Amino acid sequence: MKHIKTLNTKSLQNTVKKGGCGECQTSCQSACKTSCTVGNQTCEQK
Amino acid sequence: MIHQYINNDIPIVLDVNSGSVHVVDQLVYDAIARMDEGKSLDETIDELKSTYGPDEIREAWEECQTLKEQGMLFTEDVYEKAIEHFTDRPTVVKALCLHIAHDCNLACRYCFAEEGEYHGRRALMSFEVGKKALDFLIANSGSRRNLEVDFFGGEPTMNWQVVKDLVAYGRSQEEAHNKKFRFTLTTNGVLLNDEIMEFANKECANVVMSVDGRKEVHDFMRPFRNGKGSYDLIMPKFKKFADSRNQTNYYVRGTFTHYNLDFAKDVLSLADMGFKQISIEPVVAPPEADYAIREEDVPIICEQYDLLAKEMIRREKEGNGFNFFHFMIDLTGGPCVYKRLSGCGSGTEYLAVTPWGDLYPCHQFVGNEKFLLGNVDEGVVRTDIVDTFKHCNVYAKEDCKKCFSRFYCSGGCAANAYNFTGSINGAYEIGCKLQRKRIECALMIKAALAEE
Repeated sequence: MKHIKTLNTKSLQNTVKKGGCGECQTSCQSACKTSCTVGNQTCEQK
Repeated sequence: MIHQYINNDIPIVLDVNSGSVHVVDQLVYDAIARMDEGKSLDETIDELKSTYGPDEIREAWEECQTLKEQGMLFTEDVYEKAIEHFTDRPTVVKALCLHIAHDCNLACRYCFAEEGEYHGRRALMSFEVGKKALDFLIANSGSRRNLEVDFFGGEPTMNWQVVKDLVAYGRSQEEAHNKKFRFTLTTNGVLLNDEIMEFANKECANVVMSVDGRKEVHDFMRPFRNGKGSYDLIMPKFKKFADSRNQTNYYVRGTFTHYNLDFAKDVLSLADMGFKQISIEPVVAPPEADYAIREEDVPIICEQYDLLAKEMIRREKEGNGFNFFHFMIDLTGGPCVYKRLSGCGSGTEYLAVTPWGDLYPCHQFVGNEKFLLGNVDEGVVRTDIVDTFKHCNVYAKEDCKKCFSRFYCSGGCAANAYNFTGSINGAYEIGCKLQRKRIECALMIKAALAEE
Protein backbone atom coordinates (compact mmCIF):
# COMPACT_ATOMS: atom_id res chain seq x y z
CA MET A 1 0.00 0.00 0.00
CA LYS A 2 1.16 3.48 -0.81
CA HIS A 3 -0.60 5.46 1.87
CA ILE A 4 -0.94 3.03 4.76
CA LYS A 5 1.55 0.93 6.69
CA THR A 6 -0.03 -1.59 9.04
CA LEU A 7 2.08 -2.45 12.08
CA ASN A 8 0.37 -5.69 12.99
CA THR A 9 -1.38 -8.32 10.98
CA LYS A 10 -2.84 -10.43 13.76
CA SER A 11 -6.44 -9.52 14.45
CA LEU A 12 -7.79 -9.64 17.95
CA GLN A 13 -10.86 -11.30 16.49
CA ASN A 14 -8.85 -14.38 15.61
CA THR A 15 -8.10 -14.94 19.27
CA VAL A 16 -11.79 -15.58 19.96
CA LYS A 17 -11.38 -19.08 18.58
CA LYS A 18 -8.28 -20.34 20.33
CA GLY A 19 -7.75 -17.98 23.24
CA GLY A 20 -8.85 -18.25 26.82
CA CYS A 21 -6.55 -20.97 28.16
CA GLY A 22 -5.93 -18.80 31.22
CA GLU A 23 -2.31 -19.82 31.68
CA CYS A 24 -1.04 -16.26 31.28
CA GLN A 25 0.31 -14.13 34.06
CA THR A 26 -2.11 -12.26 36.28
CA SER A 27 -1.40 -8.69 35.29
CA CYS A 28 -1.06 -7.21 38.75
CA GLN A 29 1.69 -9.68 39.55
CA SER A 30 4.02 -8.22 36.95
CA ALA A 31 4.77 -4.75 38.18
CA CYS A 32 1.88 -2.46 38.60
CA LYS A 33 -0.02 -3.25 41.80
CA THR A 34 -1.91 0.02 41.45
CA SER A 35 -3.08 0.11 37.87
CA CYS A 36 -4.60 -2.36 35.50
CA THR A 37 -2.47 -2.86 32.43
CA VAL A 38 -3.40 -5.87 30.40
CA GLY A 39 -2.56 -4.95 26.80
CA ASN A 40 1.14 -5.48 27.41
CA GLN A 41 0.88 -8.98 28.81
CA THR A 42 2.32 -11.88 26.92
CA CYS A 43 0.32 -14.84 25.64
CA GLU A 44 1.56 -18.17 27.01
CA GLN A 45 0.65 -19.94 23.79
CA LYS A 46 3.10 -17.91 21.75
CA MET B 1 -14.79 2.00 15.88
CA ILE B 2 -11.53 3.72 15.09
CA HIS B 3 -9.31 6.11 16.99
CA GLN B 4 -7.11 8.47 15.03
CA TYR B 5 -4.47 10.80 16.40
CA ILE B 6 -1.19 12.45 15.54
CA ASN B 7 1.66 12.09 17.99
CA ASN B 8 5.28 13.09 17.36
CA ASP B 9 4.14 14.09 13.84
CA ILE B 10 3.07 10.51 13.07
CA PRO B 11 -0.58 10.08 11.99
CA ILE B 12 -1.92 6.85 13.45
CA VAL B 13 -5.24 5.06 13.03
CA LEU B 14 -6.18 2.35 15.53
CA ASP B 15 -8.95 -0.03 14.60
CA VAL B 16 -10.26 -0.73 18.07
CA ASN B 17 -12.04 -4.05 17.64
CA SER B 18 -9.38 -5.83 15.59
CA GLY B 19 -6.49 -4.13 17.38
CA SER B 20 -4.94 -3.22 14.02
CA VAL B 21 -2.60 -0.25 14.07
CA HIS B 22 -2.12 1.70 10.85
CA VAL B 23 0.46 4.38 10.24
CA VAL B 24 -1.03 6.57 7.53
CA ASP B 25 -0.20 9.65 5.50
CA GLN B 26 -2.07 12.92 5.97
CA LEU B 27 -4.37 12.18 3.03
CA VAL B 28 -5.62 8.90 4.48
CA TYR B 29 -5.83 10.53 7.88
CA ASP B 30 -8.15 13.18 6.48
CA ALA B 31 -10.15 10.76 4.34
CA ILE B 32 -10.64 8.19 7.07
CA ALA B 33 -12.17 10.78 9.39
CA ARG B 34 -14.81 11.39 6.72
CA MET B 35 -15.31 7.67 6.19
CA ASP B 36 -15.90 7.38 9.92
CA GLU B 37 -18.56 10.07 9.69
CA GLY B 38 -20.33 7.98 7.04
CA LYS B 39 -19.47 10.26 4.14
CA SER B 40 -19.22 8.93 0.59
CA LEU B 41 -16.17 9.01 -1.66
CA ASP B 42 -17.71 11.84 -3.70
CA GLU B 43 -18.39 13.91 -0.60
CA THR B 44 -14.85 13.29 0.59
CA ILE B 45 -13.36 14.31 -2.77
CA ASP B 46 -15.46 17.43 -2.63
CA GLU B 47 -14.35 18.34 0.86
CA LEU B 48 -10.65 17.61 0.30
CA LYS B 49 -10.27 18.86 -3.27
CA SER B 50 -8.43 22.03 -2.30
CA THR B 51 -5.64 19.92 -0.76
CA TYR B 52 -5.52 16.70 -2.80
CA GLY B 53 -6.33 15.64 -6.36
CA PRO B 54 -9.36 13.36 -6.93
CA ASP B 55 -7.23 10.48 -8.19
CA GLU B 56 -5.05 10.29 -5.11
CA ILE B 57 -8.09 10.57 -2.84
CA ARG B 58 -9.65 7.69 -4.77
CA GLU B 59 -6.47 5.66 -4.36
CA ALA B 60 -6.37 6.28 -0.59
CA TRP B 61 -10.05 5.45 -0.32
CA GLU B 62 -9.46 2.13 -2.05
CA GLU B 63 -6.65 1.24 0.33
CA CYS B 64 -9.02 1.83 3.24
CA GLN B 65 -11.66 -0.32 1.55
CA THR B 66 -9.14 -3.13 1.15
CA LEU B 67 -8.34 -3.02 4.86
CA LYS B 68 -12.05 -3.04 5.64
CA GLU B 69 -12.47 -6.17 3.56
CA GLN B 70 -9.52 -7.76 5.33
CA GLY B 71 -11.11 -7.12 8.72
CA MET B 72 -8.56 -4.54 9.79
CA LEU B 73 -10.53 -1.34 9.63
CA PHE B 74 -13.99 -0.41 10.92
CA THR B 75 -14.42 -3.93 12.26
CA GLU B 76 -17.45 -4.80 14.31
CA ASP B 77 -17.38 -5.55 18.02
CA VAL B 78 -18.11 -9.25 17.95
CA TYR B 79 -17.23 -9.73 21.59
CA GLU B 80 -20.16 -8.07 23.27
CA LYS B 81 -22.50 -10.77 22.02
CA ALA B 82 -20.33 -13.42 23.67
CA ILE B 83 -19.99 -11.57 26.94
CA GLU B 84 -22.92 -13.17 28.71
CA HIS B 85 -21.57 -16.63 28.17
CA PHE B 86 -18.14 -15.41 29.13
CA THR B 87 -19.17 -13.86 32.45
CA ASP B 88 -20.93 -17.04 33.49
CA ARG B 89 -17.78 -19.06 33.00
CA PRO B 90 -16.48 -21.11 35.91
CA THR B 91 -13.36 -19.39 37.22
CA VAL B 92 -10.40 -20.83 39.04
CA VAL B 93 -7.91 -19.14 41.34
CA LYS B 94 -4.50 -18.93 39.75
CA ALA B 95 -2.70 -16.20 41.66
CA LEU B 96 -2.33 -15.14 45.25
CA CYS B 97 -0.83 -12.04 46.75
CA LEU B 98 0.48 -13.17 50.13
CA HIS B 99 0.71 -10.42 52.70
CA ILE B 100 3.72 -11.92 54.37
CA ALA B 101 4.12 -8.95 56.70
CA HIS B 102 1.72 -6.24 57.68
CA ASP B 103 4.61 -4.23 58.90
CA CYS B 104 7.19 -2.08 57.21
CA ASN B 105 10.58 -0.57 57.91
CA LEU B 106 9.77 2.51 55.84
CA ALA B 107 7.05 5.09 56.30
CA CYS B 108 6.19 6.08 52.74
CA ARG B 109 3.85 9.04 52.61
CA TYR B 110 1.60 7.61 49.91
CA CYS B 111 1.34 4.04 51.25
CA PHE B 112 -2.13 2.65 50.61
CA ALA B 113 -1.31 0.09 53.27
CA GLU B 114 -0.73 2.80 55.89
CA GLU B 115 2.90 1.98 56.59
CA GLY B 116 2.16 -1.67 56.09
CA GLU B 117 -0.66 -2.02 58.58
CA TYR B 118 -3.62 -1.89 56.19
CA HIS B 119 -5.93 -0.12 58.60
CA GLY B 120 -5.40 -2.98 61.00
CA ARG B 121 -2.75 -4.32 63.30
CA ARG B 122 0.89 -5.14 62.73
CA ALA B 123 1.21 -8.82 61.97
CA LEU B 124 3.46 -11.36 60.32
CA MET B 125 2.09 -14.33 58.38
CA SER B 126 2.93 -17.65 60.00
CA PHE B 127 4.17 -20.59 57.96
CA GLU B 128 0.95 -22.44 58.84
CA VAL B 129 -1.28 -19.74 57.35
CA GLY B 130 0.94 -19.46 54.27
CA LYS B 131 0.90 -23.22 53.79
CA LYS B 132 -2.90 -23.26 53.96
CA ALA B 133 -2.96 -20.46 51.39
CA LEU B 134 -0.83 -22.50 48.98
CA ASP B 135 -3.01 -25.56 49.60
CA PHE B 136 -6.09 -23.41 48.89
CA LEU B 137 -4.51 -22.22 45.65
CA ILE B 138 -3.66 -25.73 44.49
CA ALA B 139 -7.14 -27.00 45.39
CA ASN B 140 -8.93 -24.14 43.61
CA SER B 141 -6.81 -23.85 40.49
CA GLY B 142 -8.56 -26.54 38.45
CA SER B 143 -6.45 -27.58 35.48
CA ARG B 144 -4.32 -24.41 35.46
CA ARG B 145 -0.71 -25.43 35.63
CA ASN B 146 1.00 -22.10 36.20
CA LEU B 147 0.27 -20.66 39.62
CA GLU B 148 1.55 -17.30 40.77
CA VAL B 149 2.36 -16.29 44.29
CA ASP B 150 3.59 -12.82 45.13
CA PHE B 151 5.34 -12.21 48.44
CA PHE B 152 4.02 -8.81 49.31
CA GLY B 153 3.59 -6.63 52.35
CA GLY B 154 4.19 -4.33 54.06
CA GLU B 155 7.71 -5.50 53.58
CA PRO B 156 8.01 -9.28 53.05
CA THR B 157 11.72 -9.46 53.86
CA MET B 158 10.76 -8.65 57.47
CA ASN B 159 9.41 -12.20 57.59
CA TRP B 160 12.01 -13.79 55.33
CA GLN B 161 12.22 -17.24 56.89
CA VAL B 162 8.52 -17.79 56.21
CA VAL B 163 9.05 -16.77 52.57
CA LYS B 164 11.81 -19.34 52.22
CA ASP B 165 9.79 -22.04 53.94
CA LEU B 166 6.76 -21.36 51.75
CA VAL B 167 8.83 -21.57 48.57
CA ALA B 168 10.18 -24.92 49.75
CA TYR B 169 6.67 -26.12 50.57
CA GLY B 170 5.30 -24.93 47.22
CA ARG B 171 8.08 -26.68 45.30
CA SER B 172 7.44 -29.89 47.25
CA GLN B 173 3.84 -29.89 46.03
CA GLU B 174 4.46 -29.17 42.35
CA GLU B 175 5.03 -32.65 41.03
CA ALA B 176 2.22 -34.40 42.87
CA HIS B 177 -0.34 -31.84 41.68
CA ASN B 178 1.17 -31.11 38.24
CA LYS B 179 1.58 -27.41 39.07
CA LYS B 180 4.32 -24.91 38.52
CA PHE B 181 4.68 -22.07 41.00
CA ARG B 182 5.94 -18.73 39.85
CA PHE B 183 7.03 -16.81 42.87
CA THR B 184 7.56 -13.08 42.84
CA LEU B 185 8.92 -10.75 45.49
CA THR B 186 8.13 -7.09 46.04
CA THR B 187 10.63 -5.32 48.27
CA ASN B 188 11.70 -1.86 49.41
CA GLY B 189 15.31 -3.03 49.57
CA VAL B 190 16.04 -2.03 53.17
CA LEU B 191 16.84 -5.57 54.33
CA LEU B 192 18.02 -6.81 50.95
CA ASN B 193 21.31 -8.71 51.19
CA ASP B 194 23.32 -11.24 49.21
CA GLU B 195 21.48 -14.19 50.68
CA ILE B 196 18.07 -12.78 49.73
CA MET B 197 19.27 -11.90 46.23
CA GLU B 198 20.70 -15.34 45.70
CA PHE B 199 17.52 -17.01 46.90
CA ALA B 200 15.30 -14.74 44.78
CA ASN B 201 17.45 -15.30 41.70
CA LYS B 202 17.02 -19.03 42.11
CA GLU B 203 13.34 -19.09 43.01
CA CYS B 204 11.58 -15.92 41.89
CA ALA B 205 10.35 -15.45 38.33
CA ASN B 206 10.09 -11.73 38.92
CA VAL B 207 11.12 -9.22 41.55
CA VAL B 208 9.75 -5.74 42.04
CA MET B 209 12.11 -3.24 43.66
CA SER B 210 10.42 -0.15 44.96
CA VAL B 211 12.25 3.07 44.10
CA ASP B 212 10.80 6.37 42.95
CA GLY B 213 13.59 7.75 40.75
CA ARG B 214 15.68 10.79 41.66
CA LYS B 215 17.18 10.77 45.14
CA GLU B 216 15.34 13.88 46.34
CA VAL B 217 11.99 12.60 45.07
CA HIS B 218 12.54 9.14 46.55
CA ASP B 219 13.74 10.40 49.92
CA PHE B 220 10.84 12.81 50.28
CA MET B 221 8.18 10.16 49.74
CA ARG B 222 9.98 7.07 51.05
CA PRO B 223 11.63 7.94 54.37
CA PHE B 224 12.38 5.74 57.35
CA ARG B 225 10.15 6.24 60.35
CA ASN B 226 12.72 8.71 61.73
CA GLY B 227 12.34 10.85 58.58
CA LYS B 228 15.69 9.97 57.03
CA GLY B 229 15.66 9.08 53.33
CA SER B 230 16.19 5.49 52.18
CA TYR B 231 17.73 6.08 48.75
CA ASP B 232 21.42 5.78 49.64
CA LEU B 233 20.86 2.51 51.44
CA ILE B 234 18.79 0.75 48.82
CA MET B 235 20.14 1.98 45.50
CA PRO B 236 23.51 0.19 45.41
CA LYS B 237 21.70 -3.01 46.40
CA PHE B 238 19.04 -2.61 43.71
CA LYS B 239 21.73 -2.05 41.08
CA LYS B 240 23.53 -5.19 42.16
CA PHE B 241 20.26 -7.13 42.27
CA ALA B 242 19.21 -6.03 38.76
CA ASP B 243 22.64 -6.88 37.35
CA SER B 244 22.62 -10.25 39.06
CA ARG B 245 19.36 -10.98 37.21
CA ASN B 246 21.02 -10.00 33.93
CA GLN B 247 18.83 -6.90 33.74
CA THR B 248 15.75 -8.98 33.09
CA ASN B 249 12.80 -10.49 34.99
CA TYR B 250 12.57 -7.60 37.42
CA TYR B 251 11.17 -4.09 37.65
CA VAL B 252 12.37 -1.06 39.46
CA ARG B 253 8.96 0.30 40.30
CA GLY B 254 8.13 3.74 41.57
CA THR B 255 5.23 6.03 42.14
CA PHE B 256 4.90 9.61 41.03
CA THR B 257 2.68 12.09 42.80
CA HIS B 258 1.52 15.70 42.56
CA TYR B 259 4.96 16.61 43.96
CA ASN B 260 6.95 15.24 41.03
CA LEU B 261 4.83 15.82 37.97
CA ASP B 262 8.11 16.01 36.03
CA PHE B 263 8.39 12.26 36.57
CA ALA B 264 9.99 11.64 33.15
CA LYS B 265 13.17 12.79 34.88
CA ASP B 266 12.70 10.04 37.46
CA VAL B 267 12.31 7.40 34.79
CA LEU B 268 15.41 8.67 33.00
CA SER B 269 17.34 8.89 36.25
CA LEU B 270 16.74 5.16 36.73
CA ALA B 271 17.64 4.46 33.10
CA ASP B 272 20.84 6.52 33.48
CA MET B 273 21.81 4.30 36.39
CA GLY B 274 21.64 1.30 34.09
CA PHE B 275 18.23 -0.13 34.93
CA LYS B 276 16.53 -1.66 31.90
CA GLN B 277 13.12 -2.62 33.32
CA ILE B 278 11.38 0.42 34.71
CA SER B 279 7.89 1.19 35.89
CA ILE B 280 6.90 4.56 37.30
CA GLU B 281 3.20 4.87 37.95
CA PRO B 282 0.77 7.57 39.04
CA VAL B 283 -0.12 7.49 42.73
CA VAL B 284 -3.55 6.24 43.66
CA ALA B 285 -4.73 8.41 46.50
CA PRO B 286 -7.89 9.86 47.98
CA PRO B 287 -8.58 13.20 46.28
CA GLU B 288 -8.06 15.10 49.54
CA ALA B 289 -4.46 13.90 49.91
CA ASP B 290 -1.95 16.70 49.25
CA TYR B 291 0.09 14.45 46.97
CA ALA B 292 -2.89 13.14 44.94
CA ILE B 293 -2.96 13.64 41.18
CA ARG B 294 -5.50 16.33 40.33
CA GLU B 295 -7.47 17.04 37.20
CA GLU B 296 -5.29 20.07 36.42
CA ASP B 297 -2.17 17.87 36.57
CA VAL B 298 -3.36 15.73 33.66
CA PRO B 299 -2.04 17.95 30.79
CA ILE B 300 1.35 18.22 32.51
CA ILE B 301 1.55 14.45 32.97
CA CYS B 302 0.54 13.87 29.34
CA GLU B 303 3.32 16.20 28.22
CA GLN B 304 5.75 14.17 30.34
CA TYR B 305 4.63 10.95 28.67
CA ASP B 306 5.29 12.59 25.27
CA LEU B 307 8.74 13.72 26.37
CA LEU B 308 9.54 10.29 27.72
CA ALA B 309 8.31 8.52 24.59
CA LYS B 310 10.52 10.67 22.34
CA GLU B 311 13.55 10.15 24.55
CA MET B 312 12.95 6.41 24.62
CA ILE B 313 12.90 6.32 20.82
CA ARG B 314 16.14 8.28 20.71
CA ARG B 315 17.85 5.95 23.15
CA GLU B 316 16.51 2.85 21.45
CA LYS B 317 17.94 4.01 18.12
CA GLU B 318 21.25 4.65 19.85
CA GLY B 319 21.25 1.10 21.13
CA ASN B 320 20.70 2.22 24.68
CA GLY B 321 16.99 1.50 25.07
CA PHE B 322 15.04 0.42 28.13
CA ASN B 323 11.56 -0.88 28.89
CA PHE B 324 8.96 1.35 30.46
CA PHE B 325 6.19 -0.88 31.76
CA HIS B 326 3.31 1.41 30.83
CA PHE B 327 4.55 1.82 27.26
CA MET B 328 5.00 -1.88 26.67
CA ILE B 329 2.61 -3.23 24.10
CA ASP B 330 2.74 -6.44 22.16
CA LEU B 331 1.30 -6.00 18.68
CA THR B 332 2.25 -9.42 17.39
CA GLY B 333 1.36 -11.79 20.20
CA GLY B 334 -0.47 -9.89 22.88
CA PRO B 335 -3.14 -11.33 25.11
CA CYS B 336 -6.26 -12.94 23.67
CA VAL B 337 -9.56 -11.17 23.83
CA TYR B 338 -10.65 -13.24 26.85
CA LYS B 339 -7.75 -11.93 28.86
CA ARG B 340 -8.55 -8.42 27.68
CA LEU B 341 -12.14 -8.82 28.77
CA SER B 342 -11.41 -10.34 32.13
CA GLY B 343 -8.76 -7.80 33.10
CA CYS B 344 -6.47 -8.32 36.04
CA GLY B 345 -8.62 -11.09 37.49
CA SER B 346 -9.03 -9.49 40.90
CA GLY B 347 -11.71 -11.13 42.99
CA THR B 348 -11.87 -14.18 40.74
CA GLU B 349 -8.51 -15.50 39.54
CA TYR B 350 -6.41 -13.34 41.78
CA LEU B 351 -6.89 -12.99 45.54
CA ALA B 352 -4.97 -11.44 48.40
CA VAL B 353 -4.30 -13.24 51.68
CA THR B 354 -3.75 -11.34 54.95
CA PRO B 355 -1.23 -12.46 57.58
CA TRP B 356 -4.03 -14.18 59.50
CA GLY B 357 -5.46 -15.90 56.41
CA ASP B 358 -8.37 -13.71 55.34
CA LEU B 359 -9.10 -13.58 51.61
CA TYR B 360 -9.77 -10.33 49.73
CA PRO B 361 -10.31 -9.58 46.01
CA CYS B 362 -6.83 -8.02 45.79
CA HIS B 363 -4.21 -6.27 47.89
CA GLN B 364 -5.91 -2.91 47.34
CA PHE B 365 -9.09 -4.10 49.08
CA VAL B 366 -7.36 -5.57 52.11
CA GLY B 367 -8.67 -3.96 55.27
CA ASN B 368 -12.05 -3.07 53.78
CA GLU B 369 -14.33 -5.53 55.58
CA LYS B 370 -17.05 -5.13 52.97
CA PHE B 371 -14.84 -7.09 50.60
CA LEU B 372 -13.83 -9.88 52.96
CA LEU B 373 -14.39 -13.04 50.89
CA GLY B 374 -13.52 -15.78 53.34
CA ASN B 375 -10.34 -17.30 54.70
CA VAL B 376 -7.80 -20.01 53.99
CA ASP B 377 -9.59 -22.48 56.29
CA GLU B 378 -13.09 -22.19 54.86
CA GLY B 379 -12.20 -20.91 51.38
CA VAL B 380 -14.31 -18.31 49.61
CA VAL B 381 -17.57 -17.89 51.50
CA ARG B 382 -18.89 -14.72 49.88
CA THR B 383 -19.45 -16.05 46.37
CA ASP B 384 -21.79 -13.11 45.79
CA ILE B 385 -18.81 -10.74 45.90
CA VAL B 386 -16.86 -12.98 43.55
CA ASP B 387 -19.82 -12.85 41.15
CA THR B 388 -19.76 -9.06 41.22
CA PHE B 389 -16.11 -9.12 40.19
CA LYS B 390 -16.77 -11.74 37.56
CA HIS B 391 -19.33 -9.52 35.91
CA CYS B 392 -17.08 -6.50 36.06
CA ASN B 393 -15.76 -6.02 32.52
CA VAL B 394 -15.59 -3.39 29.82
CA TYR B 395 -19.17 -4.02 28.76
CA ALA B 396 -20.44 -3.51 32.29
CA LYS B 397 -18.94 -0.02 32.31
CA GLU B 398 -20.75 2.62 30.30
CA ASP B 399 -17.64 4.80 29.94
CA CYS B 400 -15.64 1.93 28.48
CA LYS B 401 -18.08 1.18 25.68
CA LYS B 402 -17.05 4.36 23.88
CA CYS B 403 -13.36 4.22 24.79
CA PHE B 404 -10.68 3.19 22.30
CA SER B 405 -8.42 1.93 25.05
CA ARG B 406 -10.82 -0.66 26.46
CA PHE B 407 -8.96 -3.69 25.15
CA TYR B 408 -5.67 -2.45 26.62
CA CYS B 409 -6.72 -1.59 30.17
CA SER B 410 -9.71 -3.96 30.31
CA GLY B 411 -11.78 -1.43 32.17
CA GLY B 412 -9.05 -0.40 34.57
CA CYS B 413 -8.36 -1.16 38.19
CA ALA B 414 -11.43 -2.22 40.18
CA ALA B 415 -9.99 -0.78 43.38
CA ASN B 416 -9.41 2.61 41.79
CA ALA B 417 -12.94 2.57 40.40
CA TYR B 418 -14.35 1.70 43.81
CA ASN B 419 -12.32 4.30 45.66
CA PHE B 420 -13.30 7.10 43.32
CA THR B 421 -16.86 6.22 42.35
CA GLY B 422 -18.09 3.87 45.06
CA SER B 423 -18.56 1.07 42.54
CA ILE B 424 -16.14 -1.40 40.97
CA ASN B 425 -18.05 -0.78 37.73
CA GLY B 426 -17.30 2.92 37.80
CA ALA B 427 -14.49 4.65 35.95
CA TYR B 428 -11.68 6.59 37.60
CA GLU B 429 -11.54 9.44 35.10
CA ILE B 430 -8.05 10.77 35.73
CA GLY B 431 -6.71 7.22 35.48
CA CYS B 432 -8.59 6.73 32.20
CA LYS B 433 -7.17 9.91 30.67
CA LEU B 434 -3.63 8.88 31.57
CA GLN B 435 -4.21 5.36 30.32
CA ARG B 436 -5.38 6.62 26.93
CA LYS B 437 -2.34 8.86 26.66
CA ARG B 438 -0.03 5.96 27.48
CA ILE B 439 -1.60 3.77 24.80
CA GLU B 440 -1.19 6.56 22.25
CA CYS B 441 2.47 6.96 23.18
CA ALA B 442 3.08 3.20 23.17
CA LEU B 443 1.66 2.83 19.66
CA MET B 444 3.57 5.89 18.47
CA ILE B 445 6.84 4.38 19.71
CA LYS B 446 6.11 1.22 17.73
CA ALA B 447 5.34 3.34 14.66
CA ALA B 448 8.49 5.44 15.02
CA LEU B 449 10.72 2.41 15.43
CA ALA B 450 9.05 0.64 12.51
CA GLU B 451 10.08 3.54 10.27
CA GLU B 452 13.69 2.47 10.48
